[in-house]
Amino acid sequence: MIEAFFRFDFLQYALFTGLMIGFLAPVLGVFLVVKRMSLIADALSHITLTGIAFHMLLARYNPTIAAVTPLYLGLAFSVSGALFIEWLRRMYTSFKELAIPIVLSGGIGLGVVFISLADGFTTDLFNYLFGSVVAVTIQDVRLIAIITIVVTVLLTLFYKELFYLSFDEEHAAVAGLPRQWLHLLFIVMVALVITASMRIVGILLVSALMSLPVAAAMQWAKSFKQMFVYAVLIGEVSVVTGLIFAFQLDWSAGGTIVLVAVGLLLLSMAGRRLLTKVAVQMNNRRTTSVE
Amino acid sequence: MTENENPVVEIDHLTYRYGSQNVLEDISLTVEPGSFVGLVGPNGSGKSTLVKSLLGLLSPQSGSVKLFGRPQQRFKAWSRIGYVSQKANSFNAGFPATVFEVVSMGLYGKVGMLRFLNRKHKQQVREAIQAVGMSEYEKRNIGELSGGQQQRVFIARALVSEPELLILDEPTVGVDAYSVQSFYDLLSELNQERGLTLLLITHDIGAMTRYVTDVACLNKHLHFHGTPGEFERNQDLSAFYGHDVQLITHEHEPAHAGGGRG
Repeated sequence: MIEAFFRFDFLQYALFTGLMIGFLAPVLGVFLVVKRMSLIADALSHITLTGIAFHMLLARYNPTIAAVTPLYLGLAFSVSGALFIEWLRRMYTSFKELAIPIVLSGGIGLGVVFISLADGFTTDLFNYLFGSVVAVTIQDVRLIAIITIVVTVLLTLFYKELFYLSFDEEHAAVAGLPRQWLHLLFIVMVALVITASMRIVGILLVSALMSLPVAAAMQWAKSFKQMFVYAVLIGEVSVVTGLIFAFQLDWSAGGTIVLVAVGLLLLSMAGRRLLTKVAVQMNNRRTTSVE
Repeated sequence: MTENENPVVEIDHLTYRYGSQNVLEDISLTVEPGSFVGLVGPNGSGKSTLVKSLLGLLSPQSGSVKLFGRPQQRFKAWSRIGYVSQKANSFNAGFPATVFEVVSMGLYGKVGMLRFLNRKHKQQVREAIQAVGMSEYEKRNIGELSGGQQQRVFIARALVSEPELLILDEPTVGVDAYSVQSFYDLLSELNQERGLTLLLITHDIGAMTRYVTDVACLNKHLHFHGTPGEFERNQDLSAFYGHDVQLITHEHEPAHAGGGRG
């Protein structure tokens, strides 16, 4: 395995990318989950697919485009999708979740039409849907590294505002925070991270990497800051373990990563319950011995 | 410090319409520095609309609001105002944040964007938590606390930026009777010892008249603004808005107490 890692560039690319998204996706996922917006990741990932499909359509007629990674068009579509979602959420203030099915189904509809106009379902497209260990190129690694740096810097700078806004929007507004602007910034970051994660985990499974580690972290975290620590830890373990298994067994990378994440979530839930039980029993014993 | 002589809040002929319906009509109300104003009105009387207009969360169709002598539209020093909303009782109880983290939020507006909390700020957070008597819960999750304790935490969050005005919108909804009592004691202490100006909005007059310096009665119009003594003596008013019900209906549900007619 280690020998293979040094021999094959693609394995190194996959690992670097994996480490970056194992950090990014859970971090943004924490905000998404506490804002009860985890489904937005699904809507945005599907609109990213539309961008990828559009790239493939263009690439069919233009070889220059074919040489470029489809991630750029995917990125353009997911960011536009993010802006569109924010606009819809403002239009339907009482039914904010409506933005999700609108963007999701609109994205798929358009994407499928593009796919049928291009080559249909190719291996390439299949890799985008479910993720791949072998498909990551050096171009992808560069773009994803830039996304990682940009998102990390933005999150550090606006952490306290995003935290306040997630907890209590009204008070954040009274405190004078520019909430529309912050919402926009946040959703654009989500779009960036989805584009980054797609190469490894695949469009259909991106949202899993943003929600499963967070759900598991919730079992352990005692503070908001701890949520990030645990979620990233679980995210990284899922990605790295998933990639190793996927390579060894020749399974789909996205599927394997998600399965590991589901496993860690179940373990967290069981572990938490067990600990609570033990704590209750110890407590009981202490009170009886005092009596 | 001439600014201190300005009224803290000056509402002048404010009217707010929702659709074609007037929710607030021609409201004029002044809150003087150092006062403790209890604004009482039945459900649907426009109390929350008035507060939201004060805070700039809603824009009234006519009339004006001045905060510390400045027109509200141009008011920027939001850290001079602390706000505790009714909604504090219905925030997402599972939210994984500690008491310390929640109270820290109160400083975010004052600290400003692109800046971080330093040691002095953290000390201020601890002091605010101490001021509401919640120090031993500093590291606890906000969701694990009782309604009364959570409300104290939200007061601490409002206090941490050292505001001069504290606005409380139905802060005792969902808080048990015993906690309500100590809650009023806390407010009274803040008012008398720190000179904090308080505007308390409630539909249930309850024991409030024992603590406040001013009572204002709202039901679309402002019907009354005076001292608690004057309010008690005005039989029509106290019949409609309720009075110190704890003297009469000791153990009854609060729902019966406040004369909650719309």
